[in-house]
Amino acid sequence: MSPLDITLRDPETPRSTLGRPPDYLHEAHTLRSWFFTTDHKRIALLYLATITAFFVVGAIAAGLVRLSLIVPNGQIFTSDTYNKLFTVHGVVMVWFFLIPSIPATFGNFLIPLMIGAKDLAFPRLNLLSWYVFIGGGLFTVADLVIGGVDTGWTFYAPLSTTFSNTYVVPALIGVIIVGFSSILTGLNFVVTIHTMRAPGMTWFRMPIFVWTHYAVSLIFLLGTPVITITLILLVMERSFGIGVFDPRLGGDPVLFEHLFWFYSHPAVYIMVLPGMGVISEIVPAFAQKRLFGYRFVAYASLALASITFFVWGHHMFVNGESNLAALVFSLLSFAVAVPSAVKVYNWTATMYKGSIRLQTPMLYAMGYIGLFVLGGLTGLFLATLSINEHTHGTYFVVAHFHYIMVGGTMLAFLGGLHFWWPKFTGKMYPEAWGRVSAIFIFIGFNVTFFPQFLLGYLGMPRRYHDYPPEFQLLNIVSSAGATILAAGYIFPMIYLIWSLWFGRQAPSNPWQAKGLEWTTTSPPPTHNFETPPTVDFAPYDYPLRTPADV
Amino acid sequence: MSDVTFPVGIDVHEQFANADQQRHAAQLGMWIWLVTELLLFAGLFMVALVLHIMHPGSVRAAVLHFKFWIGAANTAVLICSSFTMSGAIMLSRMGWQRWMVRCMLATAALGSLFLLLKGYEYYLDYAEHMMPFVGQPYALEGDPASRLFTNLYFVTTALHGAHLTTGVAILLWMAWQAHRPGFLQARQNRIEVYGLYWHFIDLIWIIVFPLLYVVGR
Repeated sequence: MSPLDITLRDPETPRSTLGRPPDYLHEAHTLRSWFFTTDHKRIALLYLATITAFFVVGAIAAGLVRLSLIVPNGQIFTSDTYNKLFTVHGVVMVWFFLIPSIPATFGNFLIPLMIGAKDLAFPRLNLLSWYVFIGGGLFTVADLVIGGVDTGWTFYAPLSTTFSNTYVVPALIGVIIVGFSSILTGLNFVVTIHTMRAPGMTWFRMPIFVWTHYAVSLIFLLGTPVITITLILLVMERSFGIGVFDPRLGGDPVLFEHLFWFYSHPAVYIMVLPGMGVISEIVPAFAQKRLFGYRFVAYASLALASITFFVWGHHMFVNGESNLAALVFSLLSFAVAVPSAVKVYNWTATMYKGSIRLQTPMLYAMGYIGLFVLGGLTGLFLATLSINEHTHGTYFVVAHFHYIMVGGTMLAFLGGLHFWWPKFTGKMYPEAWGRVSAIFIFIGFNVTFFPQFLLGYLGMPRRYHDYPPEFQLLNIVSSAGATILAAGYIFPMIYLIWSLWFGRQAPSNPWQAKGLEWTTTSPPPTHNFETPPTVDFAPYDYPLRTPADV
Repeated sequence: MSDVTFPVGIDVHEQFANADQQRHAAQLGMWIWLVTELLLFAGLFMVALVLHIMHPGSVRAAVLHFKFWIGAANTAVLICSSFTMSGAIMLSRMGWQRWMVRCMLATAALGSLFLLLKGYEYYLDYAEHMMPFVGQPYALEGDPASRLFTNLYFVTTALHGAHLTTGVAILLWMAWQAHRPGFLQARQNRIEVYGLYWHFIDLIWIIVFPLLYVVGR
């Protein structure tokens, strides 16, 4: 189609679109071309819109929880409403935002680009997994918002099977359905990484982002079926009285916790590993230096994905586990610190003596490293049997996993979103606003969650609606921090959408970053590369600066 | 011979560089799916093993009620069906499309026979009051561990039965597609990939049968 045809068809086309290379966004504009697309890049954007909507639902629930906790006697909501609110927050954030967040959006968009493929191995399966995801997700969210469930995101038996009077079964069915979306995405990634790499793209030329997604896909594939069967058993018990977890029917409630955490502990690494991949791309690009210890970082990803399957018992130290089992699980949990620390040291060493540019993605990445260290170290506290006895089920645990999931995954998600936004959309975001919101999020996050470490250590239990008045000051500080955090989330939603129409046109490689995805145009053409790439360079081949880099 | 053999091949999808890559991707995809299926059943197998170790007496009481000979007959039926499925795969590689369809129909028939026998077995269980969740008094009342094992038996065999039913449905659908010439020229790979699934359902039963019917007898 010549430029003249475009002007004839659409006289209002901005001049900047004339004469530019074809891209996946402007190939077609119909709704059909979006909802029946098999292009991995468009499916990634469908996921991005969906998980953002789920994030808003979960965030509103979190805001209401923080609102309720401003006063000690629980006057703002009834205890039932409070239980339903934190369940909405937990279920939506964990199952429908954090788990799919980076893999389904960035992974979907970038894995084929990074390994030089035209698409994922199974494009129709990829679209199916989005429909499965949105179907299951909307079903559960509607159930949570209209009916309400009060079990928390963990669905512990016997509360979920016997005592809860809320709509547990529909929520479970939605979560089971969404699990299949995870499995199909993981399957697609593994097959794509094994079979679709461009000529010359050997395993150790792949970016760490691809390595971490390979590791995460293994967890999707090995963990998700177990949670599926566990939740099916829960539905069977609640609906048909096939007792597996209820002692009166011959079952055992602790069995549920074992099966649940066999998946749900690895699920933490489903949330964290992709973020590590994002940080491993951002840090070398903004330090203009090779990633320090590339192979160590790659192997550390696989090590995390393996060790994580052997630590589930640390969730049950006080739930009737034998001393020997607790000791073994405690030791294995300490072992997780080794590959995690390898990564942190490698990112730090990459920055050392680099020429660092403090643009928005780098601000997020540096925030990530700091918060991840805090979250990780408090994880070691919790893995220690004696400290766990004191802090189990308190706000200390809540603060710990929010440092990992928000301080880790959420910051990586936002950092990656800014880093690849020019590639996704062909537009630059406004840099000043980006920096402001990154700083808001970092400050807001710490003000919200650091007081919760103190509250937990002082003995405030999680999931309680009212608390002794002496905890009020710290709770007010925490809720105040949540408003700063909320502002930090709202800014990007506004200016990123604004940039779609008014942002500066993005060049192919705005950050002078390395990697195949930056060699194609922004946004990429439908089949990703004008000529199929051949790889004859090492990963992160940034120019060598000092003898220490060699 | 030309009315027996047909050309064998594969339509290459646009995201793949060549047919080999597509074949490799499809087979790897199915293997990975089967790993997730194995993990799905593994949760149930683990519970069964734990019960075998913790409550051997109760498990034995339940196992003695299960219909060993129906289970054994079904094992034989499924092994035969794997044999006919292997035949279908071999014939598909040779391009004998009509004989391949006949083998697939035989496989589907054996799968259906399994389901019929399984249904009859459920009926016998019901008649012996071994279905604690339907509201009738339970044959082994006062033995909660045996009740858990019985429940597990129903969940596991029902899940396996659901997989087999899906398998038979896909088999019939593909046999219908393959009744026209040209199927093997475009889609021979489907038979190979589907064969993996069918053998896998068979394999799951080979684990289920000893675990639920034999051990502790």
